[in-house]
Amino acid sequence: MTGPARDNRSISPIFWLLFGAGGMLSALFGPGLILITGFFAPLGVGLPENFLSYDHALAFAQNPVGKLAVLVVVALFFWHGAERLFLTLKDMKAGPSLLLKLCTYGVAAVVTAAVIALLLAIGF
Amino acid sequence: MNESRPYRRPAPKDWWAKAPYRAYTVREMSGLAVAGYGAVLFAGLYSLSQGPESWAAYVRFLQSPVSLLLHAALLAAVLYHVKTWFQILPKTMPKLILGRAPVAQRTITRVATIFAGACSLALVLITLGVAR
Repeated sequence: MTGPARDNRSISPIFWLLFGAGGMLSALFGPGLILITGFFAPLGVGLPENFLSYDHALAFAQNPVGKLAVLVVVALFFWHGAERLFLTLKDMKAGPSLLLKLCTYGVAAVVTAAVIALLLAIGF
Repeated sequence: MNESRPYRRPAPKDWWAKAPYRAYTVREMSGLAVAGYGAVLFAGLYSLSQGPESWAAYVRFLQSPVSLLLHAALLAAVLYHVKTWFQILPKTMPKLILGRAPVAQRTITRVATIFAGACSLALVLITLGVAR
């Protein structure tokens, strides 16, 4: 029994998990994040002037908790969009599965690796 | 000759752009807005890693009308994502039974949407409070 079941195992649940985590995170905190980084911070509404200063942003990105927040938000948001776009393009029969995966999961994977590399380059 | 050849009902090429499937297509594309906002943040992280001048250019972009319009569109799309995400939630989670009766799907959607609103509001208020 274990033989065939093992052979039939799929990698898809990993993508579903990342999709679900990104969907939930963006549903809970997405609007708040967009309000802060897209409107309040650049317009200086309710926030001190140095909120978007280089030193302030650098301190945030050098803090381990800040690093984790950046990684989780950016990576999961990309994995969420990748899964939705992949399934939609697949249903549209937009191209061969491997190509669609490269254009969706592939982008999310590259961005995730790039975020980790940038966070490490910024240092602690 | 034991390969099955099931009948496939022919569908027009643009079935996804027509009702009722169009609603699903729009919902799925709200995921692109989520990723798009991720891309805006990624650009910020990259600018930060390139030094103060690069970061200043990123902040100037955030302050531009183009960015404000972009963020307004992203906010609208993400709000649509919030609405539809919690419409899906009761259909994908195990049946929730309180007492003896299952909780209605509409109730789960409503409570979860209010909870999400509270999360975003708390994030904004805490950020405004801490930064003060």
